[in-house]
Amino acid sequence: MDFDLNDDQRAILEAVEALLEQHAGAARAIELQPKGEYDASLDAALADAGFSDVGRDPDMGGLEATLVVEAVARAGGVVAIGAEAMVAPMLRDEPLPTPIALATAGHGGAVRYAASARSLLVLGDREARWVALEPGDCAPVRSNFGYPMGRVSAEGTTRGDGLGVGSAARLHTAWQLAIAAEAVGCMEAALAQTVGYLKERRQFGRAIGSFQAVQHRLAECAIHVEGSRWLVREAAYQRAPTEGVATAAAFALSAAGRIFSEMHQLSGAIGFTREHDLHVWSMRLQALRLELGGVAAHRRAIVAARWGGVGS
Amino acid sequence: MNVRFSKQEEDFRAEVRVFLEPWRDLDGFFGQGLKWKRVRELFCAMGERGWLSLSWPEALGGLGRGPAYEYILWDEVGYARAARNPLSAGIVARSLIRYGSDAQKARWLPPIRSGELHFSLCYSEPEAGSDLASARVRADREGDEYIVNGQKCWQSYAQDMDYLWLLARTGTQESRGRGLSLFICDKNAAGVTVSPLPTLDDDQLNEVHFDGVRVPVSDRVGPENGAWSIMGEALADERHIQFPPGRVRRDLDEMVEWVKGVGLAGDPVVRRTLADLAVQVREVEIYGLLVLDRMQKGRSAAAEVAANKVIHTVVCQNIARAIVDLGGPEALVIGSRPQLLWRQSMWETIGGGTTEIMRSIVAKQALGLGARR
Ligand SMILES: Cc1cc2nc3c(=O)[nH]c(=O)nc-3n(C[C@H](O)[C@H](O)[C@H](O)COP(=O)(O)OP(=O)(O)OC[C@H]3O[C@@H](n4cnc5c(N)ncnc54)[C@H](O)[C@@H]3O)c2cc1C
Repeated sequence: MDFDLNDDQRAILEAVEALLEQHAGAARAIELQPKGEYDASLDAALADAGFSDVGRDPDMGGLEATLVVEAVARAGGVVAIGAEAMVAPMLRDEPLPTPIALATAGHGGAVRYAASARSLLVLGDREARWVALEPGDCAPVRSNFGYPMGRVSAEGTTRGDGLGVGSAARLHTAWQLAIAAEAVGCMEAALAQTVGYLKERRQFGRAIGSFQAVQHRLAECAIHVEGSRWLVREAAYQRAPTEGVATAAAFALSAAGRIFSEMHQLSGAIGFTREHDLHVWSMRLQALRLELGGVAAHRRAIVAARWGGVGS
Repeated sequence: MNVRFSKQEEDFRAEVRVFLEPWRDLDGFFGQGLKWKRVRELFCAMGERGWLSLSWPEALGGLGRGPAYEYILWDEVGYARAARNPLSAGIVARSLIRYGSDAQKARWLPPIRSGELHFSLCYSEPEAGSDLASARVRADREGDEYIVNGQKCWQSYAQDMDYLWLLARTGTQESRGRGLSLFICDKNAAGVTVSPLPTLDDDQLNEVHFDGVRVPVSDRVGPENGAWSIMGEALADERHIQFPPGRVRRDLDEMVEWVKGVGLAGDPVVRRTLADLAVQVREVEIYGLLVLDRMQKGRSAAAEVAANKVIHTVVCQNIARAIVDLGGPEALVIGSRPQLLWRQSMWETIGGGTTEIMRSIVAKQALGLGARR
């Protein structure tokens, strides 16, 4: 038993963080937001350095990819790294054209990154499909939740190539874990940002962070973030077992709701303004919470994995 | 005990409902800044009926009716989502009625009563949010004027308002709440700059900078260094209409409509959620009525008022969260109703005194748990 990262994993993490330091960060995310733009240069930089593909490396795999996704989320990167590093490798040996967006069959609707995506992975009942997108296939939609969003037509989700038996389950699990990993990164950054602010912000002659009522709430949040991180990493380490992934997702996305509310409440009015960076991560938590059926669906997936379908 | 409104009060409610018919599509309760022109028209229409001065003394142009009428009015306006009760006819007018000079009453009350003149609340500052007694915008007396310097922030709607209701320091910094005074300041006075602070709901709050602004002594309201008790009393005068339960009832009704529309009305989990929220909405209503009762009897009720704010705003959030969680990613799209409700409720637990500060008041006033000193 050893929860520490090994040397290779540490090296990957340090390297990706150095790259993100240069190419990503809250300021960059805020710059791209009004235009709803995808960070193609960051995507290219991550791909060139091999980070998007660590999940395909036979010597590495899911855990390393998870570390990358967590780090990109902490840096507020506007790239579909979860789909690229954690999902696509589970479905096809050859890389897909990027960016990659993830959608559910038969559901037209708002999808993260769809407006700039060149690949769409579609979760069907039996099979997953890969759709090569043409420009204009997905119209951008206006949203304010930290991700550029696009609308996939219901018809668009029925095209493309089937990815074979078992692909739907693999896509579902990988997608769930990718959401959870991204939530972990966003929660870590939102918590760190808020704790830093509350150490500085003084009211009633003291730092707000010195009030015990505030400390206890931040401590509770820290416990939730820590729990999320290790459940996600454990699931990745165990090669994404259905129940373990559903558990990690249910835990992390439930924590995400709490982190959102608490960080905003404890930041006061400034957290409501665009001049304060919190929204870069907090609004994303809200978006991640709703994907793939949300916490309720992750919980149902645990029950289905452990005890089978209802009535069977 | 009698938890019914009188026949006359119920008749008034019916009258308000009819009046509101043409305003039901306004949606000025949310994002007032984006709809100010029509919201102002609504206030003028209310002003014509004397409804902005329902409880003012008749000598000051009011209708001299009891708080229940005001409660009913804003409850219905809140349910109709038409507008929030304006600061001008609220805190500003009530302060003037209690503390204004005759000249001030004559000058300000008529255009406030008619719905034409509006104020921005300039209390908070970058370093003085929850701890308002530490405000540091200064007003230094020079002859017949005060010279105002410093910065306020987070002013809602200041971009559209005509005047500023300004809290400024006239005493030493150490005198805290005992060294603050209230002023009326022309938004267009030389040295006043209002600039937008874009917010996460695509609307704005504002910063207000004062750079050597000259305010005549005749525009100070109440005694020098007397702001604290005036502010407290004005808030108390307003406590029964600040958080109209109608808004929360409407939130739930909208959620039910939405649930039916998306075909979830038969889902047992959804029904359970609705039942839970319906109970919470009843709690909001009973607290609203409790505060009204205290108000009618002139009892101070700091703990009930604080509790009312907590319950009202938290239940708004619970409803909004529930609807977004059911809405899926579609709830993230600008223009969708779940998205709007959610973004409009998330900040209610901060503005006007945070939940934490309200809880401290309950602990102190209701439970006798004083701060360690
Ligand atoms: C939508 C909106 C509209 C507003 N409109 C106006 C307006 O028109 N005019 C105006 O003057 N102001 C306005 N405000 C500002 C509002 O009054 C302040 O935001 C509020 O008083 C809180 O101050 P703050 O934001 O500085 O938070 P802070 O005081 O910095 O507090 C940050 C967090 O710490 C908590 N905290 C602080 N002290 C303690 C303590 N002792 N114990 C435990 N927790 C504590 C707070 O509860 C909060 O959660 C508005 C705010 C919002 C969000």
